[in-house]
Amino acid sequence: MTKEEFLTVSNVCKAFGTGDSRQEVLRGMDFTVAKGEFCVLLGPSGSGKSTLLNIIGGIDSADDGYISIAGDKLRDMNEKMLTRYRRKHLGYVFQLYNLIPNLNVKENIEVGAYLSDKPLDIDELLNTLGLWDHRYKLPNQLSGGQQQRTSIGRAIVKNPDILLCDEPTGALDYNTSKEILKLIEDVNQKYGNTIIMVTHNAEISKMADHTIKLRDGKVRKNIVNDNKISAVELEW
Amino acid sequence: MRDPMNKRFLREFAKDWKKNLALILLMSFMIALASGMEVGNKSMLKSIEASSETYNLEDGHFILKTEGSDALLKKIEEENNLKIYKQYYKEVDQVTEESKKAAEPDLIRVFPERTEVNKICLMDGRFPEAEDEIVIDRLHAEIRKINIGDTIGVDGLNLKVVGTIAAPDYTSLFQRNSDLVFNSISFDIGFMTQAGWDKLNGSRKFEYAYIYNDEPSNVKEQKKLADSAMQKIAVLAATGGYTSDLSVAKALESDPSSMVALQDYMADMNELMDFLPEYANQAIHFAPNDMKKDTNIMGIMVYIFIAILAFVFAITTSNTIVKEAAVIGTLRSTGYTRGELLRHYMLTPVLITIVSAAIGNLLGYTLAKDVVVNMYYENYCMIKYQTYWNAKAFLITTLIPLVLMILINFIIIFRKLRLSPLKFLRRDLSTSKRKKAMRLPRVGFMNRFRMRIFLQNIGSYIVLYVGIAFVMLLLAFTIGLPETIEHYKSEIKDNQISEYQYILKNSKDEAGNEITTSEETAERYAISSLETISGVHVGEEVSVIGVSKDSRFVKGTEGLTGNEVLVSSAFKEKFGLKNGSTLTLGDKYSDETYDFVIKGVYEYQGGIGIFMPIENYNTYFGLDEGTFTGYLAANAITDIDVDNIYMTITLEDIQATAVQFDRSMGGMMDYISVGCAVLAILIIFLLTKLIIEKNAVSISMVKVLGYENREINSLYVRLTTILVIIFAIGTSFLAVLGLKLLFKLVMYTMNGWFSGYISPLGMVKMIAIMIICYLIVMVFDMRRIKKIPLADALKNVE
Repeated sequence: MTKEEFLTVSNVCKAFGTGDSRQEVLRGMDFTVAKGEFCVLLGPSGSGKSTLLNIIGGIDSADDGYISIAGDKLRDMNEKMLTRYRRKHLGYVFQLYNLIPNLNVKENIEVGAYLSDKPLDIDELLNTLGLWDHRYKLPNQLSGGQQQRTSIGRAIVKNPDILLCDEPTGALDYNTSKEILKLIEDVNQKYGNTIIMVTHNAEISKMADHTIKLRDGKVRKNIVNDNKISAVELEW
Repeated sequence: MRDPMNKRFLREFAKDWKKNLALILLMSFMIALASGMEVGNKSMLKSIEASSETYNLEDGHFILKTEGSDALLKKIEEENNLKIYKQYYKEVDQVTEESKKAAEPDLIRVFPERTEVNKICLMDGRFPEAEDEIVIDRLHAEIRKINIGDTIGVDGLNLKVVGTIAAPDYTSLFQRNSDLVFNSISFDIGFMTQAGWDKLNGSRKFEYAYIYNDEPSNVKEQKKLADSAMQKIAVLAATGGYTSDLSVAKALESDPSSMVALQDYMADMNELMDFLPEYANQAIHFAPNDMKKDTNIMGIMVYIFIAILAFVFAITTSNTIVKEAAVIGTLRSTGYTRGELLRHYMLTPVLITIVSAAIGNLLGYTLAKDVVVNMYYENYCMIKYQTYWNAKAFLITTLIPLVLMILINFIIIFRKLRLSPLKFLRRDLSTSKRKKAMRLPRVGFMNRFRMRIFLQNIGSYIVLYVGIAFVMLLLAFTIGLPETIEHYKSEIKDNQISEYQYILKNSKDEAGNEITTSEETAERYAISSLETISGVHVGEEVSVIGVSKDSRFVKGTEGLTGNEVLVSSAFKEKFGLKNGSTLTLGDKYSDETYDFVIKGVYEYQGGIGIFMPIENYNTYFGLDEGTFTGYLAANAITDIDVDNIYMTITLEDIQATAVQFDRSMGGMMDYISVGCAVLAILIIFLLTKLIIEKNAVSISMVKVLGYENREINSLYVRLTTILVIIFAIGTSFLAVLGLKLLFKLVMYTMNGWFSGYISPLGMVKMIAIMIICYLIVMVFDMRRIKKIPLADALKNVE
């Protein structure tokens, strides 16, 4: 069965700086991601994976090439349209959770729900995230894993088409990282969102449908994983 | 779904409750003052306005030499389409415990009870019922410490004071309308029963109040009717009601045989002694006119104050935005619009302003209004007032502060939020392109360290500079206002036209002889009043003064011809007049206009006036040759009968406006000074707090390295101290410029002209207050630095 192409990255180039200090971060990237796919962007530091994620997220722009989502090219959108695009289609999860310190868990998730006309049921989501008992706690009363769960909740409560995860386990210990990965896997299966996760941990690619290996701003390998394993089975 | 971010408001508020409460209290205090001023002032004015209905205020009054016969009075009513009410009074001595201390007894003008016109307002006690009872003016009673139940001597009789009153036709106690200053101390008014009044021995004054049957629609019509009525009443009185036509009366006068025609009118003949239309009655209009000046300055000060607070809010919010950069980046990347975040961050200042405006207005309509109203009651004999809802107060105290708050916060926060989501995520909020460290001069390490701190925090120090500039402006106002008035008083003392100005009732005495004086310094002059019809203040009263060509008092008019004039320096400054240009002035009571060519400036700050030779004056205004209004003199004139003098103007009289201005605003300035000092402390506290918070990690790091608090203070606090002193000195000059500019704007809305002034000592005071306020804050800053934990430096900072 061929999956529907949802996200297209076509010849995307990006450089920073000028003159001698100019540094090309992306040098013509090409790949596609299907709807509902769990895609991992894998690469070492400086390979351009976060930059690419930011361009897909519409918070940075490509110097050349384009990104299209469901046929809409981001480069044709002005700032207002990009905001609307992010509002409607995207959920973001960062390495540092960036929760609002004086809102409790439930309220932080409501911040995401506010953006959607048809948000997921927050109570049900809290249960799914394992945060029901902590829903009235402030971020500083939570562990790193709980905070990351909250930030995932905030990202997916609006049921986005794409969930962008930038090193979501980068600041977590081994066990908590696995819990978070399991949660993302569950979310992907339960809600069918397309997930694009940036990581430098090669082990994580084993749970993905699709892995894009990046180095020096180029796609080195584009692997479709026919034998993916569950997050709980990952080891590193 | 409601924006969940709004839930942060109360938590944010609670987190910084001390600061927020201080801001609310300060803002409420200032708004309460402005609201109280505006509401008290306007309610009082509106009540005075309404008094023409409530107390049936006269349209004017006149005094006849003897009691007017019924026939004469009827004729006057018919000829002028008005209704007359007897308002006789007796002006007699009043002796009280207080007045005994003075050389002369007080004077009281006693009326029998009034029931139809100029009805009196009982302020306390009751109306007289017995013959030996009297009610007197409330303010005079307070000044002379006369209480209800006391007995006072009136015209030799012992009368019991049973109440205090205010009369709508005596809101300030002018004994004569020609007096420049009212006299609540030794002049009083009182009311008795008719029977009690009859028993007073003093001679009766036959005053008649009148009210037009058809109410005139404006002042011009009032003036027209009054001019006509005065002439008709004078002629009717002189002819016993035979005619109101002046030409007929003159014809009769020149024809002795006509006396036959007047035979039947002999018994009704009388003489008009005084005629005073309501619009020209100082006792009615002085107080409200003076009160109308009061609220302008207060409004400007509130705006400065709110602008400062808005600035503080905006800077605090900017700091919050810096702290929450990553969260903002996340929210922006998930689709929150800049507008949503802008609204979110503006919510706190806007809500605090609304809450403060509500509290301020509540206090304004209650406590502060009473302070203002009491201030008026201490100066004037005001009737009872009613509190009126005031749309302008709402505008000044709620809408404009809110708009200011929104505007200033919008500009600053919008600029901050303009950055891309990525920059927020990276916490890179600097807009500076500079990446390399600046080379510093070869000075000691600690000084170089301080320079680095300065360069690194230059933005915050610029904000501190702006904050100090705002506070200095407010300080300039509070210190400068009394100084401006003092300066004005001394300035007009130094360059008044002459020590004495006499305005005569007529240039000829009863016998038809020209009134002269042997006073060597006296010289004739003419004066009249016109008003501006264009420029910065339309309707400004302009004195047109005609002086002798070789005047010792006003020099420089000798070469002027036709309608050429010198303008007073105050007039030139206020209206920006230029030599050679044509000045057009209008008559307040008609549509006539007069053109004058400006030929120069006469150095006179005491008033808005123009000067020309008296001969040109008479020709230009179509007056007979030799006509004059009075005398200017360096010494008092003693050989003119006081009955012929309408008015004497001395230095004290010219200074009266400034004194009154000082009295009404001076009290407020004390309150504002306190608010100003608190605000200065608050602003410096907040701004230096921001700097320390911004440098918390660096401070923690130097602590880890082994620096002592004393050394850290010498780095951070000493730098701030040096800068605060430099900023205070630097901004003091700006603040004085600001004071002058704002004072100009205020004076454009009022009659007269004082230019804003602050002495070098005043500037030193401003700087000293600022530094003292900072020294208080410095103690808190040092404590804050001491409290920064060493762990801050070891935290994971992305």
